[in-house]
Order: sequence, then structure tokens, then C-alpha cells
Amino acid sequence: MDTFLNYLTEQIASGKAEIARLEADGCRDDADFAKVRTNIYEVCKTVTNALINHPGAGPKAVKDRFEGFQASWGGALENARKHGDARNVVVEETKLQALADVMAHFPEAAK
Amino acid sequence: MTQGDALKIFKSLSDTSRLRIVQSLTKGEMYTELLAERLGLTPSTVSFHMKKLEDAGIAISRKEQYYTVYSLNRRLLEASLFDIAAADPEQVDEQQRREAEYRQKVIDTFFEYGKLKAIPVQRKKKLICYEVIAENFVPGKVYGEKALNDIIAPIHEDYCTIRRDMISEGILSRNGSEYVRIK
Repeated sequence: MDTFLNYLTEQIASGKAEIARLEADGCRDDADFAKVRTNIYEVCKTVTNALINHPGAGPKAVKDRFEGFQASWGGALENARKHGDARNVVVEETKLQALADVMAHFPEAAK
Repeated sequence: MTQGDALKIFKSLSDTSRLRIVQSLTKGEMYTELLAERLGLTPSTVSFHMKKLEDAGIAISRKEQYYTVYSLNRRLLEASLFDIAAADPEQVDEQQRREAEYRQKVIDTFFEYGKLKAIPVQRKKKLICYEVIAENFVPGKVYGEKALNDIIAPIHEDYCTIRRDMISEGILSRNGSEYVRIK
């Protein structure tokens, strides 16, 4: 689990560097989307830290929470697409891509 | 062209990704996926930027089978910067402009895709939301209670509270089980 948490920490750090680069390049909207992506890694790290050692919780609770996010954001993406909301389509897609990456790195043994 | 239009043009161009899109389009028409590939962006990000460019009148889109093909609005881009910068300021009262801005902010906060996310606690905000809901009723037309509920329920589940509040706020009038929008 430490390797997973270190991975999330690395993604947060590289995300922050990407935000700074995009802002310096004048890509303000893309920087906002990078903030969304980085925030997902931060949320996942917080959730993991909170649940992993919590009595009665543990790795399965973390995985369940991630799957809950996936269902909820998947619904939000569908809704945004249905209403032609270009900004929220990108936001929800970004969140789901980051979450898929997090889930792919979630330790196999803990699943 | 108004100053508002000019502001939209400048705002939409003050982003490197959008400038790169415009630069690519100077070479000819392109569809979303091709632009995405060339610029290293996702197709949905390109669509988002294209919407901003279209809203500002800089780009034009047309459907071609499954693709959306974009091109530049040459007429606008060939206008001189002098002409755009010289756009007339809109004759809008400052107080009116602030009120319209506040109203839009409340609507954006409380509504999502036509649904009321929560009934505001503050009366001023609540009135704005109810006025938006009232736009679903034809002024002067008589609605039965069921017809009224059928219109409000898809907007917010607590249609009873909304119906009662709209009467007490003078947006709807009630006569027995008949309701009429009065403002």
C-alpha cells in the first residue's frame, strides 16, 4: 500500500508542476483541467489514508469508495454529454481518466 | 459590434491552446479529432475550446457525416484590431448590468440542466429561482393542480413547497384548485 500512496504523491507533485507550466504558457483552461486531474489524486490519497487503517474499513472499503466515485462521475459525464455541456464533459472525462489510472495502480493483493 | 462582442473575442484568444487551434485552422478546415491529434489534446478538450471560439464568432462549424468540421470566420479575422477595439460600449445601466449578473450567478448556482439543485434559503435568491420556474407557465393560462405539479416536479421533487411559495410570493394566483401565473 505504501507504493500506491507514493505513486499518488508523485502524481500530485507532477500534476502541480504541469499546472504551473500550463499557467506560464498562458493555457488557462487547460491548467484548470490539470487542477481537476491533480485534485482527483489528492482526493484518492485522502480517502486511502482515511480508510486503510480505519477499524472495520481497509483496502476493500477504499476500492468500494473508488467504484462509487466511478459510478457517480460516469452519470455526471452522461448528463453533461446529453446537455451538450462542453466544459463539464471535459471535467468529468478528466476525473474518470485520473480515477481509472488510480484504480489501475491500486495494489492487486488489496483488491 | 459591441464592446461585449470585442471582449469575447479578446478573451477567447487570450489562451495559448486556442491560439494554436486558430493557427492550425489558418491552414484550412479541420475536424475535432485531427485538431486533437495535431495539438496533443483530447477531442473533448478541443470541442470545449472550439465552443469558446464559436461563441466569440472566430470559428464556424458544420456537420459532415459523423464529423464536425471547423473553419475560421475570415470576415471577423480580417477586421482590423482598430475596428474591434473601437466597438461601441453598450448602453446598459450599470445597476441593471449588476442585477443581471447577480441573477445569472444565482441561476448558475442553483440550476443544473434545468433542474433546481436546492431551494435557496435566502428570499432574494429563492425569488429568482421561482421566476425561472414560472417561465414554464403561460401567463394568464389556467392550470389544474395536477398540471401544475407535473411541470414543477421534474424541476424539483418538493413541488408542494414550491407551489405554495409561488402563491405566497405573488407569482401564481390560486382560485380553488386552479392556478394562474400572474407575473
